[in-house]
Amino acid sequence: MRDILSKVKVIVCLLGLVSVPAWGDGHGPAFGISTTTLGSGDASVETEVTYRSGVAMIGPQFSYGISENLQLSVSAPFDINQGEHPVDRFSSTMPGIPAAEVLLAWRFHHALTGVGSRNEATLYVGGLTTTQHLLRSDGPPLQRQPGIYGAIAAGHITRRYNIWAGAGYQYFGKWSSGIVDHESNTLLTSLVLGWRPPFLDREYPKPDWRFFWETTGEDVGQAWRAPTPPGTVVVTDHGTPPPPPPNSSGIVVLPDSGGRSVYSGPTFLCTYRSFAFQGGVLFPLWTQLNGTQPSERFRAVIGVSYFFLGRHK
Amino acid sequence: MTSFWNSALRGVALAGLLLAVEPVHAEYLRIQLRVYGLDCELCARGVSASIERLPGVKSVEVSLKKGMLDIALAPGNTFKMSDLRKRIRQNGFRSMEAKVTAVGRFSGSKFEVLGSGESYDLGSQASNAVTPVEMTFDVH
Repeated sequence: MRDILSKVKVIVCLLGLVSVPAWGDGHGPAFGISTTTLGSGDASVETEVTYRSGVAMIGPQFSYGISENLQLSVSAPFDINQGEHPVDRFSSTMPGIPAAEVLLAWRFHHALTGVGSRNEATLYVGGLTTTQHLLRSDGPPLQRQPGIYGAIAAGHITRRYNIWAGAGYQYFGKWSSGIVDHESNTLLTSLVLGWRPPFLDREYPKPDWRFFWETTGEDVGQAWRAPTPPGTVVVTDHGTPPPPPPNSSGIVVLPDSGGRSVYSGPTFLCTYRSFAFQGGVLFPLWTQLNGTQPSERFRAVIGVSYFFLGRHK
Repeated sequence: MTSFWNSALRGVALAGLLLAVEPVHAEYLRIQLRVYGLDCELCARGVSASIERLPGVKSVEVSLKKGMLDIALAPGNTFKMSDLRKRIRQNGFRSMEAKVTAVGRFSGSKFEVLGSGESYDLGSQASNAVTPVEMTFDVH
């Protein structure tokens, strides 16, 4: 039994390494919301390593093309090291916090307009539940609550240029009666411009390089905490003052949560054979934080995906 | 005398066998097909891999710049053009016009690719030939 467990652990670790860098959909932008889906019966395993605010995350993901316009993805990103980082969305197909997520992508518009070009639009709907406690400077971690995620993206794709625009919302609901902890909801928007330089516009089968300039905008809402029972001693992780008293609604709004930001930067995608490699860095253009939560100097991602292609039913 | 009859019988048997296993010239030989929407190496690989799994396909060459597939088929195949178009659709792309080389029979202006159940109206290219012929034609 112990042998079997150790073998399972090894396989899981290998899968994790194999899928190292890719919060994207494996063959689209690294951060922004895009429209690409797998072919019918195709599958992919992906892994990304991300870094921000001193915290590295690893994000394994499995995707399957139910049809050419319907894709199911399961992801489970987790923190590699302990630290405080924002609660938001890292990309269209994976949460930016330690969580397990099931996500359905429906490409509801798909117009093939010419050689190498198409216009398409995709709707994402998913559910997630956090898997690790997130550290907070303003007190103990919040109790986990499941969330839902929805997004929409539209894009124009050609051999030379790509453009995608999208918006999504991640919502942590109140799924039980009474006052419970609440993580920040996140509104995510993105604009991705892609370019394949003429000297890299080569025939199949050669490594295929594309470069993107990605810009993301976030509006992260405030988190709140259910009031602690009278007499409870609140100990914070960083020696910060205990949270303020409950408001008239009975909740404790966390002053160090929420904010708005715009990030922008270069990313790349290289596909060759059944592999895709992607990575990039985003830098803050503008941030407006509500409190003293850690600001980010940059966000970095690097990842690899492997595709199982041509396996039609 | 006995040896004569033995030889004659062997000859008749051999002729019968040859007639029975006469190959049916009924197949697509080559298809050059334009595909819309193919924009990256991974897309091309997916399309190529799924077409290579169709019965009778010998090789698939993809040109991303021209959006063209060049499919060579092995003799004696039961390949169908409709299966090819379906595979491309399942990959998320659209098959367009094609140049087809196939062996088949004419029935009026219709060219029937034998063994596939598929036919094409070739109009002025029609022939009165009774035996199977190899034709190259455009399909829109």
